[in-house]
Amino acid sequence: MCCSSSIERDKALMGEPEAFDISAVKGMKFFDPHVHMTSRTTDDYQAMADAGVVALIEPAFWLGQPRTGLDSFRDYYSSLVGWERFRSSQFGIKHYCTIGLNSREANNESLAEQVMEILPLFIYKEGVVGIGEIGFDDQTAAEEKYYRLQLQLAKEAGLPVQVHTPHRDKKKGTQRSMDIALEHELDPYSIIIDHNNEETVKEVLDRGFWAAFTIYPFTKMGNERMVEIVKQYGPERIMVNSAADWGISDPLAVPKTAALMKMRGLSDEAIELVTYRNAITAFAQSGQLDEADFNAQKNVDLTEKFEGNTILRGGQQPRTDKSSIIIS
Amino acid sequence: MKRDDTRAMQNALSAIVKSNVSAESQNWLESIIQSADQSNKISQAFVMVPRKTGKSIIQLNDEQKVLIEEVGISYISNWTIYRLCRVWLLSALNSEDQDKLHATVDRLFLAAEMNEAVALYSALPFLAHPEIWVKRCAEGIRSNIGSVLEAIMENNPYPAENLDEAAWNQLVLKAFFTEKNIKLIVGLDKRANLDLASTLIDYAKERWAAGRKVNPQLWRLVGKFINAEIFETLKVGLQHYDQIEQRAIALAVSQSNYQPAKDYISTFPELKLALLEGNLNWDSF
Ligand SMILES: [Zn+2]
Repeated sequence: MCCSSSIERDKALMGEPEAFDISAVKGMKFFDPHVHMTSRTTDDYQAMADAGVVALIEPAFWLGQPRTGLDSFRDYYSSLVGWERFRSSQFGIKHYCTIGLNSREANNESLAEQVMEILPLFIYKEGVVGIGEIGFDDQTAAEEKYYRLQLQLAKEAGLPVQVHTPHRDKKKGTQRSMDIALEHELDPYSIIIDHNNEETVKEVLDRGFWAAFTIYPFTKMGNERMVEIVKQYGPERIMVNSAADWGISDPLAVPKTAALMKMRGLSDEAIELVTYRNAITAFAQSGQLDEADFNAQKNVDLTEKFEGNTILRGGQQPRTDKSSIIIS
Repeated sequence: MKRDDTRAMQNALSAIVKSNVSAESQNWLESIIQSADQSNKISQAFVMVPRKTGKSIIQLNDEQKVLIEEVGISYISNWTIYRLCRVWLLSALNSEDQDKLHATVDRLFLAAEMNEAVALYSALPFLAHPEIWVKRCAEGIRSNIGSVLEAIMENNPYPAENLDEAAWNQLVLKAFFTEKNIKLIVGLDKRANLDLASTLIDYAKERWAAGRKVNPQLWRLVGKFINAEIFETLKVGLQHYDQIEQRAIALAVSQSNYQPAKDYISTFPELKLALLEGNLNWDSF
């Protein structure tokens, strides 16, 4: 089946995107704790900065196809703490990352062994705020093995963990991820369980973990559903992210969800918690995240000259793009 | 740089590190340097330094200010403590086994994030066997990251002392392109050369064609090499009636031996006067 026909099908299932603007939350600050900027364009950075995103976390992810050698992992991790961090800084957005071996690539065991050896070189770097995203995809034995090894690494390093929960058999995968983390005697308060939905949220919160929600067009969560979840469970230990990557996704999902929450009558305090403050509280446990750093970064005036070098070519000006859609 | 100078610089770094970190961090740093497995330990410690030392700018007492002036590293006074500690750790690496030293430092370059890369390039003047870092330094000039380029280009004596002419010229040209502070390039006047001057002249013409100004420091690198061809370009610049550009060109001409250009400058009363009064110098641009 070709991609566009599957999108058509999902549209039928999920409804048409509808246009709306995010002026309702103008002036608010946002933190996107899960977004794969390596896969995104410079236009996205501009749009995010314009929409009030002041900081983000980029979890180590897979390329969409498996890497075939250790050096491509090394280069990828280096780019998360290097070039991508710099590119983000050019738009006044503070870039943090989490480093880990993702679940799908755990299934190539000989390569996974080598990756485990270089992880300690990266997890102690500045601005690495956790081990992530790790967890289950197919829920194989190899996935479990490397999930456990990385939980152990997080425990030794005193870093939070960002857990990717599987798309298939999500409820069981989520429960199992939490069970294993507790077996390793990790504090649930240092673990962010990601990609939750209505079926998983209650147990995650009840057991003391952080519950992150991904607003991803057509799949995962929609922002209308997100509003309902915050209404039902309150804003404590809940955070919203875009998980935007190389798929059909929206790097403005966090501010757009905030705008929808505002329009649906949620308090500013609740919106601030789920789209900004909770992520800071959770990941600051790494000792590598300081709100003062990204406030300083935000002071870069985009209409003036950028500090240091720039990714703009001679004479270019930053563009602003205010158009946006609702994801339902 | 001579070995004694390097040792004097190292001692200055040690003294400043000690007065800027807690007793606990100092013990940690020293245990790493004295470890039997020194190169591995230093590599790990290099990454973890900010967690142990914090990120403040270093504080210097009067004696230390004099000391760094004497050994020619007064530029470190605005460094952060973690940059200083990283450079100091690298400077303490055992230098007897050249290949091992090279491999250790190279591995750090391969996995460096921005602040680590800044420290690594800042450490080049403090490392033994300066000749083995030439390729790495030339590679660094190809970076796209502003702070990394600054660490190589500004206040760093290594490039002028070690790079070949092509790499040096690339550094200077890229510094103009990326709008670095040209005045902070160490050895700028000493390593001026005809090839660089003609490349910069072409660059100036491109800027003018795009309706942009030229950094007046550019003319500083042209003065000594003025010939008939360059003179024609200078005339174009002088006709732009941009006072700063005109004055920079006049100063460059005053430092050349090319008489036709000197005569031509004398036809501009304002420039002639400024030169006579002797109040033009490269620091004023
Ligand atoms: Zn992800």
